[in-house]
Amino acid sequence: MIVKSDDIIIKTIARIFVPFIQLYALYVIMHGHYSPGGGFQGGVILGASLALLLITHGYDEMRRRIPEGVVILLGSMGVLIYAGIGLTCLLLGGNYLDYGQLSVILHVDPAHARSLGILGVELGVGFTVMAIMYSIFFDISTGGILPGSGKRTDEWGDNG
Amino acid sequence: MGYIIAALSIVCIIGGLFFFTTATIGLLRFPDFFTRLHATGKGDTLAVFLCLIGFAIHEGLSLTALKIVFIAVFMFLAQPTATHAISRAGIRHGLKPWVKGEEQ
Amino acid sequence: MNEFFVAVGLGMCLLVFLVLYRVIFGPGVFNRIAAISAIGTKTLIILLVLGYVYNRVDMFIDISMVYALLNFIGCIAAAKYLEMER
Repeated sequence: MIVKSDDIIIKTIARIFVPFIQLYALYVIMHGHYSPGGGFQGGVILGASLALLLITHGYDEMRRRIPEGVVILLGSMGVLIYAGIGLTCLLLGGNYLDYGQLSVILHVDPAHARSLGILGVELGVGFTVMAIMYSIFFDISTGGILPGSGKRTDEWGDNG
Repeated sequence: MGYIIAALSIVCIIGGLFFFTTATIGLLRFPDFFTRLHATGKGDTLAVFLCLIGFAIHEGLSLTALKIVFIAVFMFLAQPTATHAISRAGIRHGLKPWVKGEEQ
Repeated sequence: MNEFFVAVGLGMCLLVFLVLYRVIFGPGVFNRIAAISAIGTKTLIILLVLGYVYNRVDMFIDISMVYALLNFIGCIAAAKYLEMER
């Protein structure tokens, strides 16, 4: 049970820090080929920033800002990016995730096209991990039942 | 010039190590939860700040030193907030502060 | 200069072992959470010293930044959970 926090210090510090945490998570996703990081690690940091907002601001405000439908849409969009890049490589004449074929569209040499293909795939993975981490944290902390009403939280798009 | 930078960095790191030691001794020997929070909340924050400034001076002017300064500013703002959250939880849970002269 | 950093790292490891006493024997759960937050702060410095030993500081800075973030978020989450009335 997470109730709304009536402490102004923790709410202000969380609101100051969350943009910087998300910027750092994007940095970790982008530099996956050179330093420790990549898609999954950056997605976990993004999900942790949303969890920090949920802890300090309570349920009602977070459901107003990020409804459950938007969370599921973000998760599906990440998978769409991943599979979409693979299918584009297939349609251009190569194997399923053969990024070298993307050089036909992007007008660069195949080595550069492979690097850009991996970057796009990592972005998709990051979005999906962020959405699912936030959804898991939300559902486990409520237990499926919203405080103050007898309804369950698995009715998609219906904010009871 | 290299000697001055090295000496300054060593002074900062040894200062940080001294504050870490006193904060740990306070955490072990103080009689109550709230007094131990005083020791670890203030001593650890200053010690981490001094140690990270010492590392940043050793690096010189580069991207790595800028990142270390970012970590130092983050720790300087976040550690007191965490201490504040824990002490509020302790008060609301019902812990009583220690008064001198009574049995623990 | 390298030996000095290794000595600092060993001193930090000794301090972590001393704080472990409060984690094991602290009466109640609040003492344990405060001690774990202190251990996390010392681990940050040990990670940077390891970066100097392996001569790849720019890799270990990213790891220590993430560890500082997770220490902060974990401490606030634990305090929020324990705030209920007795």
